[in-house]
Amino acid sequence: MISSYTFGIYPRSEELIEATRKNTENLDSLFQSETEEYISIQKNADIGFISDPLLKWDDIFRPFSNLSGVTPTALNRIYEMNTFYRVLSFDGSAFTDGGNTVKSNLDSSLPKNKTVAIPEPFTFAELHTSNEFKRKEDFVINLAKMLRVEIDSLVESGFEVIQLLAPSIAYNKEVDFGVVSDALKIITDGLKAKTILHTYFGDVSTKIESLLDLPVSGLGFDITTTPASSIEKHSFSDKLLTIGIINSFNTAIEKPQECIKQVDEINAQAKPKESYVSNNFDLEYVPKEFAISKISVLGEIARGAKDV
Amino acid sequence: MSKLFPTQEIGSLKKPADMLKKVKDPNASDEEKIKVRNDAALLNIKTLEDIGLDIVYDGEVRRVEMYEEPVRYVDGFEFAGRVRSWDNKYYKKARVVGPVAFKQNFHAEEFNFVKDNSKKELKVPVTGAYTLADWSYDEHYKSKDELILALARNVVRPLVKDLVGLGAKIIQIDEPAATTHPSEMDIFRESINESVKGIDAKFVVHACFSGNDYKALAPQMPEIKAEQYTLEFANRDTWNTGLGDDARKGFQVLKLFKEHGFEGEIGIGVSDVHVNEIESPELIRDRILYAAKALDDPTKVYVNPDCGLRTRTREVSFDKIRTMVKGAELAREEIK
Repeated sequence: MISSYTFGIYPRSEELIEATRKNTENLDSLFQSETEEYISIQKNADIGFISDPLLKWDDIFRPFSNLSGVTPTALNRIYEMNTFYRVLSFDGSAFTDGGNTVKSNLDSSLPKNKTVAIPEPFTFAELHTSNEFKRKEDFVINLAKMLRVEIDSLVESGFEVIQLLAPSIAYNKEVDFGVVSDALKIITDGLKAKTILHTYFGDVSTKIESLLDLPVSGLGFDITTTPASSIEKHSFSDKLLTIGIINSFNTAIEKPQECIKQVDEINAQAKPKESYVSNNFDLEYVPKEFAISKISVLGEIARGAKDV
Repeated sequence: MSKLFPTQEIGSLKKPADMLKKVKDPNASDEEKIKVRNDAALLNIKTLEDIGLDIVYDGEVRRVEMYEEPVRYVDGFEFAGRVRSWDNKYYKKARVVGPVAFKQNFHAEEFNFVKDNSKKELKVPVTGAYTLADWSYDEHYKSKDELILALARNVVRPLVKDLVGLGAKIIQIDEPAATTHPSEMDIFRESINESVKGIDAKFVVHACFSGNDYKALAPQMPEIKAEQYTLEFANRDTWNTGLGDDARKGFQVLKLFKEHGFEGEIGIGVSDVHVNEIESPELIRDRILYAAKALDDPTKVYVNPDCGLRTRTREVSFDKIRTMVKGAELAREEIK
């Protein structure tokens, strides 16, 4: 048995979608009951670390629009998806509210074994703008400082695993790993929690060496875009490895035994310090009934996979 | 078309509120619903004609939405549920669970009505195979390419053939997803060519702007069997009048099309469909004149909004189209 977790935004039910569109009186209670339902579903599936389904989040960056000096602007496409996020403009010189931005947008009923995912600084800077920090490097570093305050606050309130979402590192052909590393150092230095950097929306086969050098506890891979054979070529003896085996972009439900076999094969070759399984990106890309089935399968894969 | 700088719409307009109310009314009879849809289509056709557009359609007023409408009528699809587009906006997404196949011409009634009620040239919008595949979950085919080609051959081609049989002369294949995956342009090209194979009509391809600025599309354009591309330019252009490269930043990619050997027509998007501000006729004029110079042939330039106007109010949409027609007139005067 290995451990497991999910990350990203979960799909809203049809009832909740309608309620958000009509802004019905029971909207808040629907958000709460559906959040609790998803937490129960994860617990019942034996998921190792439980996530808030982030049902109120319009995209993974939106809570940061509440920071002083930050303004939501135009809609922009999320990479090659038919989904859009709102570009935030960071115009103040220091954007922080003391580390309460993410925490205040998470459900208080999460159990002790909880995890949270937030964008890493390079991705954040790639997808947003700043009139204050004209040089990309300065923007990345200042975002890292802001995120560290957020993460300290999350760790203090009991989050054991912090996932850092890094789609831009996967998607962009050119990545300045020096800047990525400097920014991650700000986030992870002395932190009393595990940090796992998740790459998705692109094949990172040629970047794995650079990724292994980054100052994070572990790496997560979407194996629909980065082939398992590429991961297996590398040693993860100093790193945790998360295999994004559940495909959030297809309604076809994974066959647990096939997945267990694949996870065992990857782990046998990569020999990670610790192994996890997860989804490959936000579950909200499939409707709720499919997401629930996929969470159940994820738990089954984790239970069936050999311990490392 | 003999007229210089013909004007046309791209696709959808916001539906009239009274029509939506009636078609959602559980107490309304089928006859009442048919009448209100016909009235709305007629209103759009006549308004667009009165404004002075040279090529018209009905603003896609009968269609639910460009993806959901065709998927409803194609074998092999099952709706899975709604998926977020942005914020609280969702679209219905379907699973491909079996071989895809054409059942009936789901645009026949719409086309026949427009044909019977318009005096202008008609351009029929049809959702393309690549976009239908890209926006669906595939649980049946071995690869995305296989699904795309099945849709092109077994769904879009018979649909287009039937429309042409009914009298359609210009077909616009809508492919908003096309440029979002720059690495998939080969299969996109093949899907269009398969969709139109053996059919005698004028084919127009509409592709939305992506971060790639049509750079991945440009090399494919001469190889795709389309006479015209209707593309977005206004949404990244400046609002300053003028014919210089600095003022016309959004249109510079036109030169790239020519460099790659494309010699067909471009329907240039001169109105930004994402803002309510109305472009001035003089700004439209300069966008047209810049495009004519960049393509080195004014007869290759058609004039349209960037994309469908359905996210704007009807008032804003018609004001934008009205200004577009005025701008085209100003441009024609300059060329005389």
